[in-house]
Amino acid sequence: MTVTPRAKPEFSTLRLMGGLFSYRRGLFVVNLVLWGAFHTVPVAFAYAAKVLFDRLRLGDLTGAWIALAAFGLARLARFGVFSAAFTLWIDLWYRLDALVRRNLLSHLLTAPRARRLPDTPAEAVSRFRDDVNEVAQYTEFFTDGSGILLYALVSFALMWSIDPLITVVVCAPLLLMVILVRFLSNTIRAYRRRSREATARVTDFVGEAFAAVSTVKLAAREPMMVAHLERLGETRRHAALRDVLLTELIRSVNTNMVSVATGMVLLLAASSIRAGSFTVGDFVLFATLLPRLANSMTFFGGMLAQHRRTGVSFERMLRLLGDAKPGQIVEHHDLHLSSEPPAAPPPPAREELRELRAEGLTALHESGRGVRDVDLVVRRGEFVVITGRIGSGKTTLLRALLGLLPSGGRITWNGRAVEDPASFFVPPRSAYTSQLPQLFSETLRENVLQGAHEGRLQRALDLSVLAPDVTQLDRGLETVVGARGVKLSGGQVSRAAAARMFARDAELLVFDDLSSALDAQTERLLWEGLAEDAGERTCLVVSHRRAALLRADRILVLSEGRVVDQGRLGELLERSPEMRELWAEDEPVTD
Amino acid sequence: MSSSSRSALAVLGRYLLPQWPRVLLLAVLLLGSIGLQLYVPLVLQRFIDTAQQQGALATLYRLAGVYLGAAVIVQLMQAGATYVGADVGWTSTNRLRADLMRHLMNLDMAYHKDHTPGEMIERVDGDVTALSNFFSQFSVRVFGAMLLLVGSLGVFWWRDWRVGLGVTLFAGLTLTVLLRLRRIGVEPSRQEREASARLYGFIEERLTGLDDLRALGAGPHALRGFLGVQKDFFWKSRAAWISRSVVWRASFVLFAIGYTAVLGAAVGMYAAGLVTIGTVYLYYQYMTLVEDPIDQLTQQLQELQKAGASLIRVGEVLALRTTLHSGERALPEGPLEVRFDDVTFSYGSGEDHAPVLRGVDLTIGAGRVVGLLGRTGSGKTTLTRLVTRLYDPTLGAVRVAGVDTRDLDTGALRERVAVVTQDVQLFQASVRDNLTLFDDRVPDDRVEEALKEAGLGDWLAGQPEGVRTPLAAGSLSAGEAQLLAFARVLLRDPGVVILDEPSSRLDPATEARLTLAMTNLLRGRTAIVIAHRLDTVARADDILVLGDGRVLEYGPRETLARDRASRYSALLSAGRSDLEEVLS
Repeated sequence: MTVTPRAKPEFSTLRLMGGLFSYRRGLFVVNLVLWGAFHTVPVAFAYAAKVLFDRLRLGDLTGAWIALAAFGLARLARFGVFSAAFTLWIDLWYRLDALVRRNLLSHLLTAPRARRLPDTPAEAVSRFRDDVNEVAQYTEFFTDGSGILLYALVSFALMWSIDPLITVVVCAPLLLMVILVRFLSNTIRAYRRRSREATARVTDFVGEAFAAVSTVKLAAREPMMVAHLERLGETRRHAALRDVLLTELIRSVNTNMVSVATGMVLLLAASSIRAGSFTVGDFVLFATLLPRLANSMTFFGGMLAQHRRTGVSFERMLRLLGDAKPGQIVEHHDLHLSSEPPAAPPPPAREELRELRAEGLTALHESGRGVRDVDLVVRRGEFVVITGRIGSGKTTLLRALLGLLPSGGRITWNGRAVEDPASFFVPPRSAYTSQLPQLFSETLRENVLQGAHEGRLQRALDLSVLAPDVTQLDRGLETVVGARGVKLSGGQVSRAAAARMFARDAELLVFDDLSSALDAQTERLLWEGLAEDAGERTCLVVSHRRAALLRADRILVLSEGRVVDQGRLGELLERSPEMRELWAEDEPVTD
Repeated sequence: MSSSSRSALAVLGRYLLPQWPRVLLLAVLLLGSIGLQLYVPLVLQRFIDTAQQQGALATLYRLAGVYLGAAVIVQLMQAGATYVGADVGWTSTNRLRADLMRHLMNLDMAYHKDHTPGEMIERVDGDVTALSNFFSQFSVRVFGAMLLLVGSLGVFWWRDWRVGLGVTLFAGLTLTVLLRLRRIGVEPSRQEREASARLYGFIEERLTGLDDLRALGAGPHALRGFLGVQKDFFWKSRAAWISRSVVWRASFVLFAIGYTAVLGAAVGMYAAGLVTIGTVYLYYQYMTLVEDPIDQLTQQLQELQKAGASLIRVGEVLALRTTLHSGERALPEGPLEVRFDDVTFSYGSGEDHAPVLRGVDLTIGAGRVVGLLGRTGSGKTTLTRLVTRLYDPTLGAVRVAGVDTRDLDTGALRERVAVVTQDVQLFQASVRDNLTLFDDRVPDDRVEEALKEAGLGDWLAGQPEGVRTPLAAGSLSAGEAQLLAFARVLLRDPGVVILDEPSSRLDPATEARLTLAMTNLLRGRTAIVIAHRLDTVARADDILVLGDGRVLEYGPRETLARDRASRYSALLSAGRSDLEEVLS
C-alpha cells in the first residue's frame, strides 16, 4: 500500500471560526461589546470637539466649557473601556490559541493509525506557532470589526447630516485607496515573499557554511564563502528595498488620501464656511473623523486578506494532522489552565504473547523502496534478528509492523487480527526503541519513566547497562538531559532509550539497531543481561552485530525489501552468501 | 563610556561613514518633511481665521491648495526618507555581514567546536538584522519623532510661552512616565519569551520523537506534560501582556488630560480675547504632533536597546582573534612528504586535557599510501588534523615537504593537502557550487571532468541542467555524497590526500564505484587513509597502528604481514572478531 496524497480537505473557515467563538461564548460576547464601545467612543469626542468650536464661534462660553468637559470625559471613558477590554481579550486570545494547539498535538500524539509528519519537525512547529497565530489574528478582526463597523456607520451618518455632498466627495478617495491597496496586495505579497525567500537563502547559507566550516577551511575556500554571502546579500537588499518602496508608497497614499480628503473639505467648504452654513465645528468634526474612517476601510480590506490567510493556515494544520476531520481543530476540550491536568488513562490490559504473525506485510516509501510481501513469525521467548545491508528495509519492516508506517498485509496477535497496529502495539503488549531515539529536555528520570511506574526504574537502568553512567553524572537521575541539558553520548542516548523501553515491561521488545551507537562490548552486556532477567522475553531485533546474531533463535536476512532467507546462524552461514558477507563485515577494523 | 560601547560606536562609524552622501540625503529628506509637517497646521489656522473674518474666497482656495500640496510633499519625503534609510541600512549591514563571516570563518576550529551553526546564523545575520532595522526604521522613526516633538514644542513656545511651558512640562512628564512604565514589562516579557521557548521546544521535541512516544504508548503522558507547559505559557503571556499594557493605559489617561488641558487653556485664552478661533484649532492640531512622536519614542526605545545590544555583540565578535597565524612559504608540485617530529598534542591546557598524541615521530614518504588503524580515541583523526593545521602541535613539529606547517601559508597548505571525511557537507546550491565551494574561477568542464573521474559520470548525465542543476536536499545517497567529496578533491590536484573512508556498508554497486574512485584519488599522491575495511588496508603501502596517542607499529605492509610478532599480522591471522583486542 502506498500513501496517496490526500484530497484537499473540505472545510469552511467561517464555520471553524464559529467553533472557536463558541468555545467560551460568554467571554467572546463580552469582548465584542467592550471592543465595540472602545472603537465607537472616538465619535463622541470628535462630536464634543465640534460642539466646542461651534459654541466658541457663537460666543457661548458656558456651552464651550461643557463641551470641553464632555470631551475630557469621553477620552477618560475610552481609557476605562480599554482597561477592561484588554485583559478580557488576552484571556480569549490565549485560550483559543491554547485550544487549537492542544487539539493539534493531541491528534498527533494519541489518534489511531500511522502518523507521519509531512515536513520536518521544525516546519511542523511553525503550524503550532505561526498558523495558530493567524487564527488568533482573525479572531481579533471579529472582536474589533463590529466596533469599527459601528464607528464607520455613525461617522458617515454624522457627516451626511451636515453635508451630504462633501461627505460623498471625501469618502470617494478613501474608497479609491482601499481598492488600490486591494489591487496592489498581490504585488505586495509577491515582493514580501521574494524578500523572505532571499532572507531564508542568506540564513540557510550561513548555517550551511558554518556546518561545513571544517570542509571550507580545509579547502581554503573562506573567501569564496564570503563572496557568495555578498551576492546573496545583494539579492536580498534589492528584494527588501522593493518591498519597502511599495509598502511606503501605499502607506503614504493611505495617509495622503486623508490629507487629500481634508484638503477637499477645505476646497468644497470654502464658500459655505465663509457664509456660515458650514461651521468651523463641522470642519473639526470632518477632520477628526476622517483618519479613523480611512483606517476602518483599510481594516475591512485587511479582514478579507486575513480570511484567506486563515483558510490557508487551517489547510496547513489539516495537512499536518493527516486524517483528522476539520472540526477536530476547534473541538472543545478542557485546557486545565487553572487545574492539574488529569492523569493519563491506564494502558490496555496485559495479554500474554504466544505468537505474533505478519503475512504479506508491505510498506513502500514514495521513492519506491521499502518492504514487500514479508512474512514473519515471532513466538513467545524467541530472540528474532532481522539483518541486512543499509537500505535493505530493516527499519521499514519494524515500523510497518508496529504501525508507525502505513502498510498493507495481515498482522495477527495470538491468532487474532490486529486492526490498527499503531494503537495496538503499545505497552504492555510491545515496546520499541528506534534507531535514532529521541530524548527530551527533562531529567533523566522523567526521560526513562515517561509516565511509567517508578518501581521499575532501577531494573530498567540495570538492564540497559545505564546504571554505571548515571553514577558518573553530577546530579545522577535528576540531571537534565536532551537538547537543552547535558549532552549524552550517542551510546548513552541509546541505552537511556532502552531503559525507557524496559521501564514499561512489555511482552514484546523491539530494538532497531542499537549497534549504531553502542560498542560491541556494551551490546553484548545488554543481551546477556536481558537473557538472565527473569521472565520469558520475546525480542525482535534489527542488528548486524555478532553478539545478536549468535544469540538469535531465528535470523531473517533482508535484501532490497524482501526476506531472502531465514533460519539459524549456522545454516545461513552455510547457504547464504549475503549472510556470509554481512557476518564478515561485522567488527570493523576500527571503531 | 565603557570600552564595549566605544567599540560599538566604532563599528557604527566604520560602516556608516563611507555612505555619507546617502546619509546626508536622508537627513535632508527627514528635516524637510518635518518642517512641512510643522507648517501644515498653520495653513489650517489661517484658513479658519480667514473664513471667520469673511476674507476673500480666492485666499481660501489658495490656502486649501497649499494645504493639499504640502500634505502630498510631506508624504513623498517621508517615503523617500524610509527608502533611503532602508538602503543605507542594507548596504552597510551587508558589508558588516560579509566582514563578520570572513572573521568568523577564519577563527580556529576550537571556536567552532563550541559554537553551533545556529549561533553563527544569529551572529552573522540575527544581530546584524536588528542593526539593519535600526538603520532603516529607527533613524527615520525615532530621530524624526524627536525632531518633530522639539519642533511642535517650539511652535507652542513661539505662539505663547505659557502654553509652550505647559506643553513642554506635559511632554517631559509623559515621556518619563511612559518610559519608566515600559520597564515594568521587561521582566514579565522575558519570562514570557522563556515560557514560549519552552512550549515550542516541548512541541518540537515531542514531534521529533513522535514514533518513540507512540510506540511506547506515552502519547497521553506527553499530552499531559504539554498541558502543564502550556498552562505556564498562558499565565506568563497573560501577565506579560497585562504589564505591557500599563504603558498604553497610562498613555490614554495622560493624553486625555493633555488634550483637555490644552483645549481648556485655548478656550480660556479665547475668552480673554487673546487668540482667534483658528489658533484654538491650531493648538488642538499641534497636540497631535506631540502625541504621535511620544508614541513612537516609547515604542521604539526598546528597538534602540536591542540594536545597542547587537552592536556590542558584533564588536565583541570582531575582537576575537585566531591563535593560528599563517606563515608565508609555498609548497612544490607533486606528491609531498609528511613528517611528524616528536609530536605531542592535547586539545587544551591543564590537567583535564590529557595528551591525545604522545611523541609521534615518523615520516611518510612522498607518494606512499598509509593505512591508519586504531581504536576510537587512539588519535587517528587528531593526527590528520595537525597536517592541515586545523590545530598546531603542543610540542614538536609537523612538516610537509620538509617545511614546518607553521611556516607555510595556510591557504597554500590547504590547497595542497586535501581531506575527505565520512561526513560530507552539502550546500543547497548547484552541483557546481557544491564541488568548487562557490569558486567562480573553475570552468564547468573541469567540474564535469572531476565528477567523471570520481565515478559520478552517469549520475551527472541524469542531471537536467548538468553541473548547473541545483542539488536538492537528500537527493544524493550516502555513497554518492562520498563520491562527490572525492570529486571536490580531484578538482584541486592536491599533493597529500587524507581520507576517512566510510565505515558503513553500502549497497554493492555504490561500493564498487567507491573503490574505483578511491584508486583514482590516491594515484600519484601521498595518502593517509583511516581504513575501516580490509581490502583498503590491503592496498596500502604502509601500515600505521595508533594506540592511546602513540605509534604502536609503523612499517611497510608486506614486511609487517610477514613479521609474525606484528600486530598487523596478528590481526590478519587471529580472525577479525577479536580485532579490537589486537589493536589495543
